[in-house]
Amino acid sequence: MVDKPTICGFCSCGCALYVEPAGSRVAALCPSTNHPVSTGRLCFKGWNAIPGLMGADRLRAPLIRKGESLESVSWDEALSYAASNLKRIISTSGSNSVGVIGSGKLTNEECYSLVKFARQVIGTPNIDGTSRFYDASMVPALLETIGLAASQVDLDSVARAGSMLVVGANVMEQLAHVGSRIQDAVEFGCKVVAADPRVSRIAPQASLFLHPIPGADLIWLRALLKTIIDNGLYVETATEIAGFNDLRDSLKDVSVKQLVGECGVDAEEVRQAAEILSNNPPVVVMFGLGVLQQAGASDLVKALANVAMLLGGSVMPLRGQNNAQGACDMGLATEYLPGCVPISDEQARQRWESVWNCKLTETPGMNAAEMIRACASGDIKALMVFGDNLVLSAPNSESAVAALEKLEFLVVSELYLTETAQIANLVLPACSFLEKDGTFTNIERRVQRVRKIFEPIGDSKSDLAIISLISRLLGFELSDDPETVTREISLNIPQYSEVSYLSLESDWGKPWPIDGVKAAMCPVESILQAEDPDYPLRLISSRIHYHQQTGTICARTSILAREYPESFAEMNEREAEKRGLKAGRHVTISSKFGSLTRMLILSDAVPEGCVHVPHFFGGDSSNMLASQECDSKSKTPVYKAIAVKVEAAK
Amino acid sequence: MKVGDTYILAKTDLPMFFAAIGHEMRLIAPRAFFGGDVIFDIVESPKEIVWNYGHDIYPPKRFLLPHYEDMFRYTTGDDVRIEPLPAPPKQAIVGIRSCDVSAIRFQERFFGDQIDDPYYRARSENTVLFSIVCNKPPKRECFCICCDSGPYLESGFDVQLTDLGDRYLYEIGSEKGEQATQLGAFMLKPAEPKDTAERKRIELQADSLFQTVAYMAKAIMFVSEDQVPAQVWEELGSTCFRCGACTNLCPVCTCFTVEDRPEPNGCFTRCRSWDSCQFSGFTREASGHNPRPTFGTRVQRRFYHKASYQYILRDGRHGCVGCGRCVSACLTKLDLPSVVKRIRRAMHKYLQPQPASPNSS
Repeated sequence: MVDKPTICGFCSCGCALYVEPAGSRVAALCPSTNHPVSTGRLCFKGWNAIPGLMGADRLRAPLIRKGESLESVSWDEALSYAASNLKRIISTSGSNSVGVIGSGKLTNEECYSLVKFARQVIGTPNIDGTSRFYDASMVPALLETIGLAASQVDLDSVARAGSMLVVGANVMEQLAHVGSRIQDAVEFGCKVVAADPRVSRIAPQASLFLHPIPGADLIWLRALLKTIIDNGLYVETATEIAGFNDLRDSLKDVSVKQLVGECGVDAEEVRQAAEILSNNPPVVVMFGLGVLQQAGASDLVKALANVAMLLGGSVMPLRGQNNAQGACDMGLATEYLPGCVPISDEQARQRWESVWNCKLTETPGMNAAEMIRACASGDIKALMVFGDNLVLSAPNSESAVAALEKLEFLVVSELYLTETAQIANLVLPACSFLEKDGTFTNIERRVQRVRKIFEPIGDSKSDLAIISLISRLLGFELSDDPETVTREISLNIPQYSEVSYLSLESDWGKPWPIDGVKAAMCPVESILQAEDPDYPLRLISSRIHYHQQTGTICARTSILAREYPESFAEMNEREAEKRGLKAGRHVTISSKFGSLTRMLILSDAVPEGCVHVPHFFGGDSSNMLASQECDSKSKTPVYKAIAVKVEAAK
Repeated sequence: MKVGDTYILAKTDLPMFFAAIGHEMRLIAPRAFFGGDVIFDIVESPKEIVWNYGHDIYPPKRFLLPHYEDMFRYTTGDDVRIEPLPAPPKQAIVGIRSCDVSAIRFQERFFGDQIDDPYYRARSENTVLFSIVCNKPPKRECFCICCDSGPYLESGFDVQLTDLGDRYLYEIGSEKGEQATQLGAFMLKPAEPKDTAERKRIELQADSLFQTVAYMAKAIMFVSEDQVPAQVWEELGSTCFRCGACTNLCPVCTCFTVEDRPEPNGCFTRCRSWDSCQFSGFTREASGHNPRPTFGTRVQRRFYHKASYQYILRDGRHGCVGCGRCVSACLTKLDLPSVVKRIRRAMHKYLQPQPASPNSS
């Protein structure tokens, strides 16, 4: 067993675990007992999916497309191929025709280097992370309200909460350590108000479970805000927060009854929720992808932050990718500089221009979703993707593939030959988090040390090394040593000023400090999506338990992949009867944008008027039903509450 | 020197004694890791052994039934070859507790009794256990006292050590233990009556210090006689996080799955790894039928295996040694003591006569 633990890279909880290597295989693993997150426990991913990182079919050498096939080449050939194509495209079409997409699965050091690579080496503002497809909508909304694009509390505070509002999060299945802390809190008397169109696995813990119709969260949340304000249920200090009066006034002229309308939650339930939360401080407000992937996500996040501020509570956004927080902190989002400062901030821009010795544009470039659309229109000619299977994570695989196929040059750095790697011009074999050093930042903002357990498989390299090698051929020196990059991060990003390898030798890692942030309340308007008679049902999408992200690793873990032999969709019995659909038969679920076929299962957990389509292994995902278009406000794609119809499969 | 003999080993001689053992076999012992974590692992020198350890999450069963174990390699095609792997090394597990020794005895019987498992047998024949008496429960979660598997052993050990302050009482419990003792015999002195009296005092004191109780007798009765309403199992199952830690970390659990893993050079390795009855794929049949279709029925299965007469008759004891690892490893409260407690409470709820409804005559 290796003496020091590393940090699990599956979800944003960030457990510490020990791994015993045997050659290039995992021989044994166990959680750390004393680590503040793992506390001797792991979830199904930690226990079972770690060996899936070191599978026999890992990419071992770079691959170059020659005609129809991908052929193994040396690193020298691969790198000069990359450099010559990038140089050619930059000189003929300009730097802005190059896009770089990273992922919240990379280490902080890799995210930082990738941002620097895009902005300094390539000179493009088109740099983004795939958290765009999961949770990026929270960042501007939280900055505007609580003044912090991160959780305000740690997991211990969750376990000590007096009450909780958990909205649109399958937390028991996807973030087990948060779920476990919720159970602990409930045992000590905490009251949970949950909201989800479907009965999810938080139900046994919930004192009150609201079931709004999909896409209508903003409606009942406004009613909740009004109830709290009208009944004086807010804490005294809430009135001192900027924007309190605006918020109160925005809700003055409507009644709670008018507000809730037909959203599936009635005024009485809203009143109960308000009372439970205000009578049981401290309050923690949590929300997951059910909120963050909805249309109007940023307004929803603002509404939830308002609830927390009124009640003197805290916000904990439940992020998807394991290092989503770190990626965001490193500036892996086109609208932000490292430290999560908007790129429009002139002073910050000037500072980073001097750190990186390059010119930065005042306006954001394209985000990941926009870049994919720009591939189709020809505005993006070269795309570099690090650590994400875009074909499955981006909305609508079919149109994503069509767009990516139009590129002159697609580079993919990956562990396995994923659906995205299969259509690339150049595939670079990356290594997993077990094979590299660096840091990850978890859901609590805890910056933790990732330690190398294995030598990289075959000729694979860390993304940090890959970025450094390509940069060198383009005439720039970017370090390939993670510790050097950690030092650069701590020197330049104030939140990370205390982070160093040395401090992480004697400590598990601490949440980065949040002193001095300024909060403000923010009125929000609600709009109900128009009904479309051709697509009368609402989509509830989720991820089946045992599935993670795009399934690249989980699907390679036989114990997890065997759990669900066939993909299915779930519907309420009455709804199925009304539509003449039979359980056990196949049905086709279609939206304006795409369709997929699943076996139908009847379930009381799904309300009438909806169909529940979970993500499955092997790319069978409800993303097929989504559109490439982004929500106009949050600039993120919409995956939830899409209008669909369900018919018997032909 | 024979089985049943008791000796004294001075604490100052302890490193030298185990260094002598270590010349002949590898030493497995509790070792310090980061931030106060202790895990059973290979130690290079007896000085690394942490004798006074609290919680060790990862049971030493993995040195007999590895978490991931290669069984053999083979090639297919015209020239089919099966290449056995080298024999497992000789090893001494030092500082193992009574509960884990009892669990290993259970597993030896399981893997040897009906169908001989050559992989397990090879490892177990090469292993000698130097167990240590717990003078007090090393952690809050311990309940071996309810499971007849500690804090000290009357039998079933190879060598058992009891901390008497400046010295250890050294008991030989098996021929394997006797043979291993020869390697350091010159450091042992015969025990005196005052030493065994002191040992007795420690035993009595330790018995009274347990904080966690598991009503094992109740559990055996409820489960064997199938008295627990299905609804109770479903309620329990509804809180499960399906991680499989309870079975992974249970020193008694024996279940594994087998997988053929392709190697880059075209051959295959047959591997086995721990599996869990808490997964649906564990019991699903090829037809698609699953005899344990719900989470509740799978929790029931686990406790059936831990406490039913049927298995007690076959395995010689119930399937829990009270090590407490399920208590600390479970993301919810599906550990043995809590489940038995919850079953007891729930049965009161369900089995009480229902008040007659006002409409009934």
